[in-house]
Amino acid sequence: MKTYMLMLAGLFVFLSSVAGQETDSLQANRFVMRSTLLGVGRTQIVDTYLSPVEYTGIEGRFLHERMRMTRMLGGNVSTQSLLQANLAYAENDSKTGNEFAGMVNWSYGLHYHFRINDRLRILAGGLGDLNLGFIYNTRNSNNPAQAKAYINLTASAMAIYDFRIKKQPFTVRYQVNAPFLGVMFSPEYQQSYYEIFTLGNSHGVVNFTSVHNQPSLRQLLTLDIPLRRTTFRVGYVGDFQQSKVNNIRCHTYSHVFMVGFVKNFYLIKGKEKLQAKSPF
Amino acid sequence: MKKSLYTLLIYVLTFSFTGCIDVEEYNDDPQGNFEALWHIIDEQYCFLDYKAEEYGLDWDEVYDRYSKDIVSNMTDKDLFNVFDRMLAELRDGHVNLYTGFDVARYWDWYEDYPQNFSDSIQRIYLGKDYHIASGMKYKVLDDNVGYVYYESFSDAVGEGNLSDMLQELSICKGLIIDVRNNSGGQLTNASKIASRFTNEKILTGYICHKTGPGHSDFSEPYPVYLEPSNHLRWQKPVCVLTNRSAYSATNDFVNTMNQLDNVTIVGDKTGGGSGLPFSSELPNGWSIRFSASPMFDPQMNQLEFGIEPDVKVDMSSEDMDQGKDTIIERARQILSEKALH
Repeated sequence: MKTYMLMLAGLFVFLSSVAGQETDSLQANRFVMRSTLLGVGRTQIVDTYLSPVEYTGIEGRFLHERMRMTRMLGGNVSTQSLLQANLAYAENDSKTGNEFAGMVNWSYGLHYHFRINDRLRILAGGLGDLNLGFIYNTRNSNNPAQAKAYINLTASAMAIYDFRIKKQPFTVRYQVNAPFLGVMFSPEYQQSYYEIFTLGNSHGVVNFTSVHNQPSLRQLLTLDIPLRRTTFRVGYVGDFQQSKVNNIRCHTYSHVFMVGFVKNFYLIKGKEKLQAKSPF
Repeated sequence: MKKSLYTLLIYVLTFSFTGCIDVEEYNDDPQGNFEALWHIIDEQYCFLDYKAEEYGLDWDEVYDRYSKDIVSNMTDKDLFNVFDRMLAELRDGHVNLYTGFDVARYWDWYEDYPQNFSDSIQRIYLGKDYHIASGMKYKVLDDNVGYVYYESFSDAVGEGNLSDMLQELSICKGLIIDVRNNSGGQLTNASKIASRFTNEKILTGYICHKTGPGHSDFSEPYPVYLEPSNHLRWQKPVCVLTNRSAYSATNDFVNTMNQLDNVTIVGDKTGGGSGLPFSSELPNGWSIRFSASPMFDPQMNQLEFGIEPDVKVDMSSEDMDQGKDTIIERARQILSEKALH
């Protein structure tokens, strides 16, 4: 386990150092895209530590994204910072129990841009992915809540397509992220948080994860609609988090429709200048 | 580079959709709810092996016997009655089934025994001038013995409450802590109070938890220690009064106090309840509570069926007729004798 932790730490340091190599330069591409979206959707939650029954309900989500070109590999690499926070309320089918759930997810990483043609770009890369959250079941006794804490290395792919309708430019984008290596906190099968935190028995609560026990997926589909100087963005987030760790099965499936704004910039010595043609 | 792109895309599309993590779903009908309940206990209840040894509990046989009572058109109340009887096979006060119209429970662990407590007689001892610190009622009895009654470990106890109370009782030659009819609450309150009665860190027992659905899937026993409080600590003799209704966290408190040299347990055997309860639910929304994590004494003895007192005393009807609590009187006698030595 120590080796895996060191490997993960090393990879994150590498990602950070690579990202940090970009320097402000007039020669460098300094395209920046920022977007902020809010959304509402539907969620399905099961965590067998709390209940074997699926809870369904409503979810609110905030998403903030920042992408920026770098000078790496001939200016074909961009960084992405993606922050999501969601809160959900869900009930069981019989309406006798309810759960609250929340999650903050921050991912940061690099994508290489494959420019297929003038309109289509394919991006591929990897992200470091940090997740903190909870599920709270309002009627349980000594297992009222489950803490969610996991960190992943995530494979990421993206397709960006520009098109026009009646000379009006639009951009459609699809991104999919899937973790392939990580570390996750989880109590053992019937271990109480009292035993972990009050008595101090933390044996088995830090677990190595990969696709075999955490086959998860986050996908984001957006459409950018320019309107005068503003670009609106509408989108869909499909967030499918799953794990089977310490014999505890968990899934949270969220389908959320998002709306918000996008800003594209070209940075020159600290000044931000709107650029007509963004690589994002 | 394109090759690596295709590899990445294939990875994402292949691995991301391959493993759907679902749980076994049971129908919301009598048979489905029966299966769900039986499997929750079979996979998560922590005393199946112990109770098989203790009184021959065979959970598979229980399935065979009670599944015959399940019919598709039975009412919720009939279904509840079958579940109530089936869960009573576990002989566990921590096992409850909660519905909108009733709660299934097993209370034989105290209902089949003498109560050994009378609140009307206790009122004679407390009088009207007793003090209350959080959930603890206390006063100095006329033979200079301190008396504390703690009714529920759910009542939050602060360090200030304990210090003030012990300061007030510090003139006493001994202390009675009465936890009769205390059916439990927070384990942290139990250890907080007990920490006022030790000057050194001591082993008070072990805790385990299930690590998987098998009946014998348990973690290594984890030692539980009692650390001395940094606040005011009691140094004189103590009697802890118990009856069959001392249960759950109270059972844990009695086990902890039982490890201390200057403490005598007086009264009846405790009710037990050494399994930390968890909750789950059935497809029809009924909530089930069950023991999930067993606790042991320092010799790894099970405490599920109670702790024997050092001095076994029952309340006598003669004493009760005279408004006397036999157990309190015996404790006063013990403390007076210890004070002389």
